[in-house]
Amino acid sequence: MSIDAEKPLIQVKGLGKAFGQVRVLKDINVDIRKGDVVFVVGPSGSGKSTFLRCLNRLEEPTEGKIFFEGVDILDRKTNIDEHRQKMGMVFQTFNLFPHMTILKNLTIAPMKLQHKSREEAEKTAMELLARVGLADRADAYPNQLSGGQKQRIAIVRALCMKPDVMLFDEPTSALDPEMVGEVLGVMRELAREKMTMVVVTHEMGFAREIATRVMFMEGGNFVEEAPPEEFFGNPKNERLKNFLSKVL
Amino acid sequence: MWENFSEAIYLNFIKDDRWKYYTDGLKVTLTITLFAVLLGVAIGLVVGIIRATHERTHKLKIMNFLCGIYLTVIRGTPVVVQLMIIYYIILASARNKIPVAILAFGINSGAYVAEIFRSGIMSIDNGQMEAGRSLGFNYIQTMWYVVLPQAFKNVLPALCNEFIALLKETSVSGYIALQDLTKAGDIVRSRTFNPFFPLFTVAAIYLICVIVLTQCIKLLERRLRQSEH
Repeated sequence: MSIDAEKPLIQVKGLGKAFGQVRVLKDINVDIRKGDVVFVVGPSGSGKSTFLRCLNRLEEPTEGKIFFEGVDILDRKTNIDEHRQKMGMVFQTFNLFPHMTILKNLTIAPMKLQHKSREEAEKTAMELLARVGLADRADAYPNQLSGGQKQRIAIVRALCMKPDVMLFDEPTSALDPEMVGEVLGVMRELAREKMTMVVVTHEMGFAREIATRVMFMEGGNFVEEAPPEEFFGNPKNERLKNFLSKVL
Repeated sequence: MWENFSEAIYLNFIKDDRWKYYTDGLKVTLTITLFAVLLGVAIGLVVGIIRATHERTHKLKIMNFLCGIYLTVIRGTPVVVQLMIIYYIILASARNKIPVAILAFGINSGAYVAEIFRSGIMSIDNGQMEAGRSLGFNYIQTMWYVVLPQAFKNVLPALCNEFIALLKETSVSGYIALQDLTKAGDIVRSRTFNPFFPLFTVAAIYLICVIVLTQCIKLLERRLRQSEH
């Protein structure tokens, strides 16, 4: 399927999410275009992660529409599993499969879901592993790796499906400080290759460095969005100014 | 005294090929146990997944309700009563008793195995399910490839207990006139009029079976623990 250059890769319209009586997200409208590196920042509890998890329906939105590659993925008739194959996701807690070797972690989805042969899947996996500098750990189990290594593997696991967009849910928040750099390095590389990315993070310096757009979420909606120079250099919203004064 | 001993051995095992009662009985006991375990695991897997799915997602309400009734009834009544209800009432026309016993013990074991699997599934962090789903696996695939292998490893000791209990529970098969191992001892006792040898022989054979089973599962556990170096 060829995507119209004008048409956003992900189009969010009037998105809302309520847990019981609590409305966590309210009327969100966002377009994410191919090659965008969108950073979502904001205070804890503002709904950043919920927003990200709505994009691949790990969280079921309660209102609104999400179009991914032109398909309404909230439609009951849409098979979300098919579309998730094209949306890689990286979690704060890695969530590698502890009972499989690294290589198996990387190849199981391409083999079972995209019907790749073992050779083909392993070739892709080994190439990507080499690029994140972990080719020698292919036969290790996740519990034998450090946090930074696990997160790099988790990124590779998502990449092995050749996704059109990568969703990052606070990918460095569970890491020891000295391991943050190696994970950011991989993400920087991805951004350079024009991978479309949506990143929820507290790493402001990193957002400033690689984002094409930074969005500030507060109280369940985006209250300001701008290119990073403007976002950090000349914030307009009072709450954003307040937030930045605390975190920068 | 040695004369008495060899006399007893002769009476209990050699005369009229009485040892065959034990070997035939053991065969029946093992056959029932093996297939009841398989049936129990199959039932337990399905019921356990339904219960855990309901607990996590609040879906499958009706199925969960039915499973709840099954668990209550099976765990609330003695297995020997269930066995007789199935043999004398539900399958009254059945010719072959072994499948009846397999069915009864399998259905009974399934209830206990279901709770074991449910707790095993619940012990796996939900992030595993989310990671599987985010790659594009559907719910059942994620269960099968990601959650269940880990859950199975966690519940193996509990499952082992259940299998041991089941092996010993089949000793009530005599109630539907099946000649299992226990019944074999009974028959020999009724021939020799001396309970000592038949009962201890039967007890020893059960004990050996349980020890062998325990060792096998220990080996399996060690193999499955590979990923935890």
